[in-house]
Amino acid sequence: MDKHRRWLPSLAALGISARAGLAAMALLLASPLVGPSLGPGAWLGKALGPGGAAWAQVAAPGNRLGTAPPPARLWRDIRRGRAGAPSGTAIGTGVLVQSEGQRWRELHNRRVRPYGGWALLGSLGAVALFFALRGRVRLDGPRTGRRMARFTQAERVVHWYVAGLFVLLAVSGLTLMFGRGLLLPVMGKSAYGALASAMLQGHNLFGPLFIAGILVMAALFLKDNLPQKGDLLWIAKGGPWMRSHAPSWKYNIAEKAWYWLAVVAGLVLSASGLVMEFPWVFRDISWIQLANLSHGIAALAIMAVALGHIYLGTIGVEGALEGMTTGSVEEAWAFQHHEMWARETAAGSAGARGGTEAESEGARPGAARAGHAAAE
Amino acid sequence: MSATTAAAGAPAMGGARAKEQAKGGIAPAIEALKGKIDSTVAAQLEACIHCGQCAEACHFYLTSGDPRLTPRHKLVPLETVYRRHMAPFSGLARMFALAPADLTRADLEAWAELLYDSCTLCGRCTVVCPMGIDIASLVRLSRAALVAADLVPESMQAAADRAVAQGSPLITEEVMRRVCAAQEKETGIRVPIDKQGAEYMVALSAMEYLNFYEVIGALARIFKAAGIDWTIASKGFEATNIGYQMGSDAIARTLVSRIVDAAHDLGVKYVVSPECGHAYTALNWEGPNMVGRPFDFEVVHILELLDRLVREGRIRLAPDETRRVTYHDPCQISRRGGVIEEPRHLLRALGANFVEMKRHGVANICCGGGGGVSAVTRAEERRIAAFACKKAQIDELGGIEGLVTACANCRNVLEEAIDAWDMELPVLGLTELVAEHLVDEAPAEEAGAPAGAA
Amino acid sequence: METPFWLWLIEGPFWLIAATIFVLGVGWRLVSLLALGRRRDLSVPRGSAAGGALRAILLHFIPHGGFFSSTTFHVLTGYLFHLALFALLLFAAPHVTFLEKNVLGFAWPAMPRWAFIVTAELAFAGLILLWARRISDPVQRQITDGGDHAQLWLTFAVMLTGCLALEEASLALRGLHMVMVELWLIYFPFSRLMHAFTWALSRGAMGATFGRRGVMP
Repeated sequence: MDKHRRWLPSLAALGISARAGLAAMALLLASPLVGPSLGPGAWLGKALGPGGAAWAQVAAPGNRLGTAPPPARLWRDIRRGRAGAPSGTAIGTGVLVQSEGQRWRELHNRRVRPYGGWALLGSLGAVALFFALRGRVRLDGPRTGRRMARFTQAERVVHWYVAGLFVLLAVSGLTLMFGRGLLLPVMGKSAYGALASAMLQGHNLFGPLFIAGILVMAALFLKDNLPQKGDLLWIAKGGPWMRSHAPSWKYNIAEKAWYWLAVVAGLVLSASGLVMEFPWVFRDISWIQLANLSHGIAALAIMAVALGHIYLGTIGVEGALEGMTTGSVEEAWAFQHHEMWARETAAGSAGARGGTEAESEGARPGAARAGHAAAE
Repeated sequence: MSATTAAAGAPAMGGARAKEQAKGGIAPAIEALKGKIDSTVAAQLEACIHCGQCAEACHFYLTSGDPRLTPRHKLVPLETVYRRHMAPFSGLARMFALAPADLTRADLEAWAELLYDSCTLCGRCTVVCPMGIDIASLVRLSRAALVAADLVPESMQAAADRAVAQGSPLITEEVMRRVCAAQEKETGIRVPIDKQGAEYMVALSAMEYLNFYEVIGALARIFKAAGIDWTIASKGFEATNIGYQMGSDAIARTLVSRIVDAAHDLGVKYVVSPECGHAYTALNWEGPNMVGRPFDFEVVHILELLDRLVREGRIRLAPDETRRVTYHDPCQISRRGGVIEEPRHLLRALGANFVEMKRHGVANICCGGGGGVSAVTRAEERRIAAFACKKAQIDELGGIEGLVTACANCRNVLEEAIDAWDMELPVLGLTELVAEHLVDEAPAEEAGAPAGAA
Repeated sequence: METPFWLWLIEGPFWLIAATIFVLGVGWRLVSLLALGRRRDLSVPRGSAAGGALRAILLHFIPHGGFFSSTTFHVLTGYLFHLALFALLLFAAPHVTFLEKNVLGFAWPAMPRWAFIVTAELAFAGLILLWARRISDPVQRQITDGGDHAQLWLTFAVMLTGCLALEEASLALRGLHMVMVELWLIYFPFSRLMHAFTWALSRGAMGATFGRRGVMP
């Protein structure tokens, strides 16, 4: 039992929380190779406007060792980012305090984190509201029993590969971003320290796998997400409400927007993630600060929209999930939600040319008309 | 021990089970499967990791895209019984309600279509299986449950009944005698029946007596040229074994015993297994196990025999076949029987412009009607559709003028499918082809003649 | 640093119990499986059963019969996952140390940290791809049961907790990894994870049958 009591303080003494939660802050001790004015640090400064210099006016910190504080002038120089000649540093040169870090911190803690948090909650709220008002979008008619191929096996595997990694990265990323505010007070320092350490390791581990996935996914789904004639018709017909059977190609314009957001945000996440995972490549700390901010913004944007995607892909729209689990969708679903694509596919599989044969129209009277008009 | 635990662990099943007992009972089916499970079956069921690659080998899956036709899925009844009653820890699993629910008659009714109509026992799935599971054998064993539950397809059961009653699923002894007599007349060579002390006894498949009877004349000519003393046995003239295909041990044993007894009574040294796939497996590889003792004669496949005769110079073939031909491997003879090179030697000895299909030998694609499927009338559409795989292979080669095979059932199934698909392609029996190219002179004079055979 | 009581429990008695269940369970399962017996084959062999068994065991490591083009995904992801997993299992530094201390009493060179991370990435990629196919291939969905998911998720949990403890700085994370390993070991003999042993029996049995027939499907 003695053993049992002794380990608690020892765990706290490990200082994991400091290492994980403040991983980026620790990097501030390192100095940029080139001056901040040449790196993205300049951008950081502008983003917050003037006032950065005010920080340099604060008094020199006290000293735990009880010796005399450094002279005010020396402290000012250090605070302004002047480089000295240290005996040894792992990264960068002799700049002891990089003041842009303060600006990065300000942006990260006061803007990205709270706004991002609200955006996520807002997205959840919007999904709930949509569900409350519109309810589950059901199939109009009875199932025909005929299937229409929608996603290839490769597309499905890549989708679920990326989706799985996305969830793992989202959970670990959110823990890192909001954990200090939300979990630390509840869990206590040592437990949160362990959790944060774990989440950081996991996040760094899964990141590269996600990058590979998003690149393949971007290529695989590109063709049907390019703009097509008739895309806007879907909006004009009140697409999101899906009451008027707005016709669309394989992906409607909202789905195309999701594709492009996922690709662009995914690439931003990938690039910024790499900067943070391999900080020694970018020796200027301000690159890392910029990467951190854009990583957070892109992640929160993609997560907020992903909530809608997940809802619509599962319980939101009856018959949608089948496409991604089995590769094919119910024919009635195809005509209800993606009529132009369905007509094209049906015509193609019937071996007909031109896609406007009486055969496919005759088989599905009514449904075909709007799509035909839209295609002209 | 497992039976008592089963009874104790299944009070909830009581009502359902009583009902089933009244309907004929599931118990015999379960017992039948339990009797089939040995260490091989268990190891193979245990090793399956549900990867589904077997589907890629199955002509029924490939031509339908129906995931229910995944070979592994056909084993569910067998697996259920294994996991509930036989597997290590199955008692423990039942205790904690972790064992699968017991097999029901409804399960078996649903699986009859998968086990009888949708598997030709071709065994191609074993080739692709990373665990090397012999799914075809497990499917055949599973059929025992359907036999026990009286769920054998009507047409197949009728064929089996005829085989037991009249000696062959398609003909009678009288028909056999008439066909042999006609071939005797045709060739002018005697077709000996019940010749005591003959060296070779030939059993043929019903389809040959009925449809491809020229093979009898061909054999007569070949054996005459080779100086072989042979006979057909009136008590064991039928080589096919529908009991083996349908999964009935009793019928399989009855049918194979006729050949074994006839061979014994006539005192022959060899029994020739004919151009019929499963007849070879049923007689040569499973026959001794069915009757429970080694044979007192040797089984030789007709292709092995012909190849040997050519190699030994006992028959001479004129290498003047000019057609561009390919060879359809009957699954039970090649992949599951081990007779792969012999037909190729023969085709080359004939001088044929012989080309291989992309997948041949061990990896060949089934005709679509093996394993008793051709005896299941209701499976006809499925079998014709499955021919698409074979057709693709043939089309890929282009300009094929003859499809040679060595199985009367394959031949019949292929001819029907070729007809249904509006193709023009003669299907040729290899034995007949050999006879057509026979050089009738006495063979001893020029021993080195069939150099092309090597 | 002294080992806290709970970690001692996890790495001591619980580990012993789990390892014992694993060893006895696997042993019992294999023995009782083999005890089902196999009837002597009375047919006249054309080739050797033992040779056939060996051939099948080796041959089925690689795709043959021209199937590679249609099973490329299965083969590549399967090997990716398994090879990386074995590399992690045997050559991760903490594993080498643990096996030396608790099981074997001797050590061998472990892989460097960067190699560990790359290998872990590959193992996760393989496992996630296998999972992605399992939930999205109609054929696999048809034949997948709860056990397939259970063993996949359990293995994932073992790997995940192992990598979360990558910093080797938290006893709690190390303990969590050990607990997952122990659950995995206990589940193993009762599950399809047994394929780690039965693969050879299955291939061997098939090979013996067809080795006698002088052919190898």
